[in-house]
Amino acid sequence: MYVPATRLQGLIAMDFRGTHAPDRFMLWVDAVGGYWVCTGDEITLGQPVGSGVSDVPILGDLSRRHARIRRDGEGYLIEAIREVWLDGRPVAGVAALVDGSKITLGSAVKLVFRRPHALSGTARLDFVSHHRTQPSADAVLMMADACILGPGPHSHVVCRDWPHEVILHRQDEQLYCRSTGALQIDGRPCRGRGRVSVGSQVQIEGFSLCLEEIRP
Amino acid sequence: MEKQVEFVELDGQDEMDVTAADPDDPTPGDPATDRPATDRSAPKARPAAKFVYPGGSQPLDGYTIKRGVGHGGFGEIYFAVSDAGKEVALKLIRRNLDIELRGVRHCLNLKHPNLLSLFDIREDARGDTWVVMEFVAGACLADVVATHPDGLPTEEALTWFHGLSAGVAYLHDRGIVHRDLKPGNIFSDEGIVKVGDYGLSKFVSCSRRSGQTESVGTVHYMAPEVANGRYGKEIDIYALGVVLYELLTGRVPFEGESVGEVLMKHLTARPDVSALAEPYRSVIARALEKDPAKRFASVGEMTAALPQPEHPQQIAGQLPSGSFGSAGAAAGVAGAAAGQSPFAEEAAAASPFAEEVVWAETVDEEPIYMALRDTVRRGRDAWDHANFATPVKVVILVMAMILLAVTAQIWLPLGVLALLFYGGYRIVRMIVMPGGSSTVRVTRPTGPPPIPPARPARPRVDPALAKTQPGGRGRYRHRETPAPAMVLKTPQERLTELLGSLLLSAVVATAMCVVMVLLNSYQSATPSAQQCAWLGLVSVAGAWAVLIPSKLWEGVQGETTPRRFVMMVVGLGLGALAFGVATMLMVDLLHYPEFPHDGGRHFPSGFYAVGQPLAMAQMACFGTLFLLMRWWRQADPLRSSRLSLWSVVVSAAAAALVAAIWGFPQPWLIMAAGAISVSVQLASPWVHPHRRYRRQQA
Repeated sequence: MYVPATRLQGLIAMDFRGTHAPDRFMLWVDAVGGYWVCTGDEITLGQPVGSGVSDVPILGDLSRRHARIRRDGEGYLIEAIREVWLDGRPVAGVAALVDGSKITLGSAVKLVFRRPHALSGTARLDFVSHHRTQPSADAVLMMADACILGPGPHSHVVCRDWPHEVILHRQDEQLYCRSTGALQIDGRPCRGRGRVSVGSQVQIEGFSLCLEEIRP
Repeated sequence: MEKQVEFVELDGQDEMDVTAADPDDPTPGDPATDRPATDRSAPKARPAAKFVYPGGSQPLDGYTIKRGVGHGGFGEIYFAVSDAGKEVALKLIRRNLDIELRGVRHCLNLKHPNLLSLFDIREDARGDTWVVMEFVAGACLADVVATHPDGLPTEEALTWFHGLSAGVAYLHDRGIVHRDLKPGNIFSDEGIVKVGDYGLSKFVSCSRRSGQTESVGTVHYMAPEVANGRYGKEIDIYALGVVLYELLTGRVPFEGESVGEVLMKHLTARPDVSALAEPYRSVIARALEKDPAKRFASVGEMTAALPQPEHPQQIAGQLPSGSFGSAGAAAGVAGAAAGQSPFAEEAAAASPFAEEVVWAETVDEEPIYMALRDTVRRGRDAWDHANFATPVKVVILVMAMILLAVTAQIWLPLGVLALLFYGGYRIVRMIVMPGGSSTVRVTRPTGPPPIPPARPARPRVDPALAKTQPGGRGRYRHRETPAPAMVLKTPQERLTELLGSLLLSAVVATAMCVVMVLLNSYQSATPSAQQCAWLGLVSVAGAWAVLIPSKLWEGVQGETTPRRFVMMVVGLGLGALAFGVATMLMVDLLHYPEFPHDGGRHFPSGFYAVGQPLAMAQMACFGTLFLLMRWWRQADPLRSSRLSLWSVVVSAAAAALVAAIWGFPQPWLIMAAGAISVSVQLASPWVHPHRRYRRQQA
C-alpha cells in the first residue's frame, strides 16, 4: 500500500512539478557574472571535446579527463588523472582541498579553490589564468545544498550592490530560491521562497538572475 | 544638489539617467565605490541596476543575451553570444541620436591591441541601435584598484599605465579625444590592457545631457577646463595623470564629500604629490596642471618621462614602430613604441586644440577685424593682469571714462565715420568674396589663422575662467554652461552672498556716482543735488537688478536668449523706477552741451516733455540697455578678473548707443551704466586664482 502511493506521488511530482534539479546549469547574474553550477558530488575537469566527457570543460592544454574534484562529507578532494599541481606540489593520487588551495592543471591552467562560507558545503573554483570554461563562465560552483548570492564576502557569488542575500537551495531534488527581499520568479511574485528550474528568470528588487541549461 | 535634479528633469531624462544623477548619492568621495557601472563595479548607492532584456532574450537578430553587464555612458551593456558562439558585448543605445553614433562610426575601424574592438553597429526590429563590441572577461582596473587600497606595486601600475597610454596615444593620433578615461573604462584581457568606451564618450559632453548628470561617476578624472566645455586632448592627459596617481596611491588626488567639492578641488586645489617618488611626482604634477598649456603636450611625452616596466607586455611578431608608415598600428603594445614614435609627436605638434578648430570655423576671418580684436584682447589681458590694486583700477577707469566723455565730440563722429566706412568695406568684401571665410582657409591651408597659435602662450592665469570673459570665445556659444563648482551652493549660502553683494553694491554705486559727479562738475556746471540723488538711486537699483537674477542663474545651465528677455523685463522695471524717482525728486535731467544731442528728431509724445524723459523713454532706454548686454556675466564668480575694463567700457558704450537711439539726455545713462557695471563687478563674489591655491595649502 505504502510503496505504490509513494511512487504515485513521485509520478505526480514528475508531471506537475517538472523534472528534478539539473546536475549542471549556468547561473547568469546581471551586473555580476556568469557561473557554471554543478550540483553533483563529483565533477570532472578536462578539455571540451565530445559530449559529456567532462562536467567542466576548460579551453586549455588539458586531457579530456584531467582531474576530478569530489565532495567527501564536509571536505573536498582532488583526484589527479593527469598532471595536477596543488600549491606548487605535484598531486599523486588524491589530495585534500582547503579554502585558498591553488590548483594547476597541466602546465598553464590555474584555479583557486574557495569555500567562502564555513557552514556551507558549496565550493567555488576561480580562474587565475586566462582560461575559461567552454562556453565561458567566470567561475565554477560546486553546489552542495545551498548557494548564497549576496553582498557579503562569505557569499558564494559576491553581488556587491545587492541589498539582500538570495539563497539558491536544493530540497527534495528540487531547486528553490529564497530571499528576504521581494522576489519574482518568471514574472510571478513569490513570498519568501519559490521554486526555480532551468530557464527561470528571478528578480529581486531590481536585480535579476537567470538559470540556463548547459547544452553539451 | 537640487539643481542637478532640475537639469535632469528639464532635459527630459529617462529613468536611468535620473538614477545616475542621484543627488543623495553619498559615495562620490569614495574611489572604491564611485565608479561607472561596468561589470561588477556599479557604485553601491545606486539603485537597482535594471536591465531591459533578461538573459535568453534575442532582441538583436543573431545574438542571444546571457546577462546584463552594466550601465555605460549611453545605455545598457549586455554579454551576449552569437548563434555561432562568438562572445560579444552589446551596448544598447536607446536614445538614438545621430551625433552619438557618429562618434562610434568614426571608431569602428580603429585597430590597436590596447583598444577594445568595436565590431559593428546594428539596428533591431524595434529601431533601437546596438553597438557590438569585444567582450572582456578579465578584470576592470576599477576592481583592481579597489583591491589595492594603498596602490598597486609600481611594476604592475606601470604595466597598466603604459598599456593604457599606448591606447590613448593611438586615439590621439587618429584625432580622437577619449574624454572619459577612468579605471572603469580600462580592462585587462589575457594580460593586455584594453581601453574601452572611446567612441561613445566622445560626444558625452556635446549632447544635451552633458556634464552634470553623465559625469557624476567620473568627476574624479575631470580636467578643470571641462567646466568651460573645452575638450582638447589635454583632458585625457589630465585623466591619465589622475589614473596614474590612483594606480600608485590607491586613491584619486581630489576626494570630497560631494560632487561639487571634488569639482571645486579640480578647479582650485593642488594635488598632494608629496608621498610619491620621482619621477612620478613631477610627471603627475605636470599632468595635473590646471592650465592645459602647461601639461604634457602629448601622451608620448608623458610616457617618455616614466620608467618602463621591467616586463613590458609583449606580443610576438610585433614590428618596429613606423615600419608600415602608421605609428598607431604597430605602436604601443609596449607603451614605449608609442611614446617615442615620431608620428605621435608630429600629430601632437600639428593638431590644434579641439576647441580651437571650432573657433576658427566660427570666426569670420576678416583681417581688419581680426587685427582689432587681437589688439583689444591683448590690451584686455594686460589690464586683467596688470599689477594694480583694485582701487587704482577704479580711479583709472573713472578718469578714462571722463576723458572719453569730454572728448566725445571729437571721437564720436570720427568713430561713426570709420564704422560706416568699415561697414561699406565689409559689404563689398562679402560681395567680392562669397563665403569669405572659407576662401581664406583654402588659400592658407598650412598657415593657421593668426590668433590661435598665440593663444596657448597667452598668460592666462586660469583657463577655467576664460568662459566668463565678456566678448571672448564665449560669444560663439549660445548656451550658458554652468561652472560645476557653482552648481552646488546651498540656498542659504547664495542668499548670504546675495545680501552681502547687494549691500556692497549700494555702497560702491553711491561712491561711484559721487566721484563721477564731482569729476564731471569740474568742467561743467555742478550737478544739482537732485541729479546726484537720481543717479545714485538708479545706479544702486540697477546694480541690484543685475545682481539678483545673476545670483539665481549662477551655476545654472540656461540659454542666453531667455535670459536676455528676462533682463529686458527687469530693465523695463528699472526704467519705470527711474522715472518714478525722477518725478519724485523733480530732477532736471539736462543734456550737457558737449554731448552731441539730436534735438531735431521726433519721438512719440509719450517720450519726452520739454526735453525731460518720461516713463516711456526711461523704460525704453533701460530695457534696451538690459537687453543688449549680458549683465549676469559681470556677476559671475569665475570671471577673469574682479574688475574688467572691457566690461565697463562695453557697458558704457552700450549705454551711449542706447542713449543715442532713444535720444536720452546725455551723459546720464552712460554714467548709470558705468556705475552699475563697476558696482556689480566689485560687489559680486570673486576668488582670485592665486588666493585659491593659498587657501588650499593652508
